[in-house]
Amino acid sequence: MMDVKRIVSRIEKNYIKSNLRKEERIDGRGLWDYREFEIKSDIIASAEGSADVFLGDTRIMTGLKYDVGTPFPDLPNEGVCTVMAELLPLASPLFERGPPGEQSIELARVVDRGIRHADCIQTKKLCIKEKEAVYILFVDMYVVNHDGNLIDTGAISALATLLSAHIPEGIIGDNGLEWTGKYLTGKDLVNELPIALTYGKIDDIIFLDPKLPEELVCEGRISISVTENKICSIQKSGAATFSIDEIKMLGKKSIEIGQKLRKQLNLTQHLSKVK
Amino acid sequence: MPLIIKDEYPDKLFRKDGKRLDGRDVDELRPIKMEVGVIKNADGSAYLEWGNNKIFAAVYGPREVHPHHLAKPDRGILRVFYRMATYSVFDRKRPAPGRREKEISMVVGDCLEPILFLELYPGTSFEIYIEVMDADGGTRCASTTVAALALADAGIPMKSLVTAIAVGKIDGKKVVDLSGIEDKAGEADLPIAITWYNEEISLLQFDGDMDLDDMNHFLDKAKEALSKVHQIQLETLKSKYIPLQGEITNEKKGEK
Repeated sequence: MMDVKRIVSRIEKNYIKSNLRKEERIDGRGLWDYREFEIKSDIIASAEGSADVFLGDTRIMTGLKYDVGTPFPDLPNEGVCTVMAELLPLASPLFERGPPGEQSIELARVVDRGIRHADCIQTKKLCIKEKEAVYILFVDMYVVNHDGNLIDTGAISALATLLSAHIPEGIIGDNGLEWTGKYLTGKDLVNELPIALTYGKIDDIIFLDPKLPEELVCEGRISISVTENKICSIQKSGAATFSIDEIKMLGKKSIEIGQKLRKQLNLTQHLSKVK
Repeated sequence: MPLIIKDEYPDKLFRKDGKRLDGRDVDELRPIKMEVGVIKNADGSAYLEWGNNKIFAAVYGPREVHPHHLAKPDRGILRVFYRMATYSVFDRKRPAPGRREKEISMVVGDCLEPILFLELYPGTSFEIYIEVMDADGGTRCASTTVAALALADAGIPMKSLVTAIAVGKIDGKKVVDLSGIEDKAGEADLPIAITWYNEEISLLQFDGDMDLDDMNHFLDKAKEALSKVHQIQLETLKSKYIPLQGEITNEKKGEK
């Protein structure tokens, strides 16, 4: 069992801080290094796409389901994609049972905004018949183990899930909704790959990918979602304040690290093989 | 609106060569894979793949009871929370826990309670969280089996393990370990669990119709199958803890 407490002792706090001042982390990483990512895709037989993503000991399982519904009146030829996150009480003693709390809603919203504003999904491809029938996609994330930085792990797992998608292709025929026998896959749907990068801040030290003890000690976080060369969403959370120069620096850094990570993960290998 | 592919069942549940649709004989089990200690934050945890079922179980406890009024002054309490992921079934399940999940939580809890020494832990609670990530028939049995492993992994004193399996009747034939399709399209389904310290039945539900001969046959066949699954449970625990034991004895030798 890992030692997980709501309150971190002052000794541990000072240890984490003094290490960060020497540009060292409690697990031996540098300030701008990620823990190791491990991605498995298409693991759930009942889902129309799925991924199991590890970032160090943090683990999120995500699945995709679809439904057919009527489009919004202002977007009559576009499908809808919703993101939900659940912090399972199984994953950490810090998580409690009950309706979704602030933390799980923040996780779902930040991942959702990354996907939405990066133009990640070609929502027009999710239209079956204008004004009548469109796909509604549900990307549901389940946190299986919590060791910090859920947002970055969640963003990657949502992407891998969408890439591994295989949704039956429907048309409205004479007898109503029919299956064409083909599938809409990740290749048809996914356009851009937005990656989220989360930084923690303690005093004036900023570092990438906070592990759980660092997350509990740090005063605040900032998550920046980037595509290949653009920023598509930012979320500052916690009580920390960031100077304008710091934010400029983080923006530049996010795009650099994002490009490196994108190469390293090679997410397109998770594209669905279904035809 | 309905989904594009319908959730339909085949008319026949046996192939021409007499085997079941997934190629099994009548008393053959689906492939089973178990692992313990998969969730590092938990006091004890286990993961099970049984056919296409994928289930996590995590144990927390003994710990303080929330809400406090549930605590019992003379004994500990066991609480089980069985949940299914929205994407684990054909039609997306609503995220909030439903009546079925609450009932199964209770049934699994009642099934596990006899193996624990709750009277030794007054005022505390043991919580077992079970999360079905992919469902393929017999999840309550698979959940009970994996929860027993997680309890053992947590180092909680137990009288023995518990193992559960579903037996039933499909197309008029008696089979063990019903798959998802067989469960829905078959005629009878009998989930059954055994506590090994006294070899008695700890979980029993039944839906369908059977005569007395059927029942006797089901109970005998279930016990045979259960001992196979029990062996896998024991091997899984041994494969984690025997190497650890070796390390500790080596360390002690080194000290001397």
